[in-house]
Amino acid sequence: MAESAAMGSQSASGAATPHSPAAADPEALLRVESLSSGYLGEDVVLDVNLTVAAGEAVAVIGSNGAGKTTLLKTICGLIPTTAGETRFGSRRLTGLGAHRVARLGVAFVPAERHLFNTMSVEENLALGAYPHRPDPETLDSVFELFPRLGERRGQHAGTMSGGEQQMLAVGRALMSRPRLLILDEPTTGLAPVLASEAYATLGRLRGEGLTVLVAEQHVPLALSLADRAYVLDHGRVDLEGSSAELADNPEVRRAYLGIS
Amino acid sequence: MKAVFLDGIVLGLQMGLLGVGLTLIYGLGGVLNLSHGQFAVLGAIVMARVLQHGASLWMAVPLGLLAAAAVAVLSDLTIMQPVYRLRGEARVLLGLLLMLGVGTIIDGYLEWKYPIEALNIRISGDPISIIGVPMRVGSLVASAIALAAGAALFVFLRYTTFGRATRSIIEDEEGARLCGINPALVRTLIFGLSGALAGLVAVSRAMTSPVISTAGVELTILALIVAVVGGLGSVSGAFVAGVLLGIVNTVSAFYIGTYITTIVLLAAAALTIVFRPAGILGRRA
Repeated sequence: MAESAAMGSQSASGAATPHSPAAADPEALLRVESLSSGYLGEDVVLDVNLTVAAGEAVAVIGSNGAGKTTLLKTICGLIPTTAGETRFGSRRLTGLGAHRVARLGVAFVPAERHLFNTMSVEENLALGAYPHRPDPETLDSVFELFPRLGERRGQHAGTMSGGEQQMLAVGRALMSRPRLLILDEPTTGLAPVLASEAYATLGRLRGEGLTVLVAEQHVPLALSLADRAYVLDHGRVDLEGSSAELADNPEVRRAYLGIS
Repeated sequence: MKAVFLDGIVLGLQMGLLGVGLTLIYGLGGVLNLSHGQFAVLGAIVMARVLQHGASLWMAVPLGLLAAAAVAVLSDLTIMQPVYRLRGEARVLLGLLLMLGVGTIIDGYLEWKYPIEALNIRISGDPISIIGVPMRVGSLVASAIALAAGAALFVFLRYTTFGRATRSIIEDEEGARLCGINPALVRTLIFGLSGALAGLVAVSRAMTSPVISTAGVELTILALIVAVVGGLGSVSGAFVAGVLLGIVNTVSAFYIGTYITTIVLLAAAALTIVFRPAGILGRRA
C-alpha cells in the first residue's frame, strides 16, 4: 500500500515540491478538478486533476489508449463531462459547447486536424479568426512562424503534405489569438525531422509567452518542451512532476523512454 | 430546337435555385428537407393572397419570402431538434420523415383552405429576341432573378465571414466548432435562407407558369432530383445540375412527351448515384 502510494501521484507531484510552484498556484489559468468522462456511458478518463498556469507548458504523456485525447477533448467541450469540472481563469468550461470554449480563448489542435480541405490556406486561417474581426497582424505573425503557409496561401488544405497540414492546423488555432493552446499528438503522421521541427515551433511560441498544454506519445519531445508533465495510465494520473523529475523517474524511463 | 433549349435554361435556372435550398440544409444538418417544395408554395399562396388585397408586388413578394423563411426557421427550432441529437443514418431517416410530415401538413392546409389559389405574375412587355428566338419578358425576368440569387449566394458563401462559416460546417463540423462557430445557430439561419430561396423560386416560376396550391410535392421531388444530381451538399453542383436537368426536361418533353419527363429526371438522378455518387461536379461545396 505504501509502495503504491509512493508510485502514485503524491511522490512525484509537482504540487508538493518547490520545483514547480506553478502547480500550487490557485490562480492557475486552466484547472481540471476530479474530471471523468468517456463515451457511451463508459468513462475513459477517471478522476483527473490537472492545472496549467499562465505562461507554462504542460505535457500529458502516456501510451496509446491511456485517455489523453479524451481528456483534452473533454476540456475543450467536444466530449461531455460525466463528473468533476474544468475552469479557465474565472470561467467554468464544463457544460459549455466547444464553440464557446474556443471563443473564451482556448484553441485546440486535434490529432486529426479537422482542416477544411476544399478551402484555401487563407480561408482556413480566416476561419480560425472567426470570433474576432479580421486581423492582419496575427495573419502576418502566422506567416512569419510558418513561411510555408505564406507561400501556399491559395492552395487547398486537402492537397498539402502532412507537415504542411500540421502547420496550418496550428496556424488556424493561433489566428484566434488564444490564451491557451491545446494540442493533441501534434507529431501524428510526421517524419522524425518534422516532429522535431513542430516542437521547435511550439518552443518558440512558448518563449513568446503562450500557455501550452500538449498530449504526446513521443515522451522525449514532450518533456523537452514542457515545464511539467502528467503521466496518464488507464485514464488516471499515474505520476506528475517537473519534466526533469519525470525524465529521471525510473518508471518513466523504463516505460516511456526505453531506458532501463 | 434553339427555342426548346432556351426554355430549358429558363426552367433549369429555377430548378437550380430550388436544388440549392435543399442541398444547403442537407450539407449543414444531414436533413433532407422533403417539404422544400411546400415552403415554396406556401410563399406563393401568401403572395397571391396579399396581391388579391390590392397590394403591390413589392409588398407581396417580401411577405411571401418572409412567410416561407419563418416556417423553415420554425421547423428547425422545433420538430428538427430531436433530429440533431441523432447521428448518422438515424438522423437522416428521422429528418426526412419529419420534414415529409411538415410538407404533408402544409399541403393539406393549403388544399383545404385555398384549393384553387394560384400565384401568377405577369410581366408586360414585347418579346425580346435572344439568338433569334423571341423570349417573353416574364421568362427573362424569371431567369434574371434566379441568376441574381445564385450569384448573391455564391458571393455570400465565398466572401462573407458567415458564408465561410456555413461552408466550414458543411465541410467539417468539428473543425468549425473548434473555430468558435456555433453550428446550431448557422443551421437555423440557413434553414431560414433556404425557405426564402424556396419562396424566390415560386416568384420566378410564377412569371412563366402559375404556381398552384397543390404544386408542393412536385417541386419537392424536383428539388430532390436536382440536389442528388448535383451531389448532396454541393451548392455549385446543384445549380449546374438544375440547368442541365432543365434542358433535359424541356427537350424530352418536346420530343417524347410531358408524361415522360419525370421518369427521365429520376433516371438522371439514379444514374448519377451509380456513376458519380459525389455529384456531377464530383466534389463538395
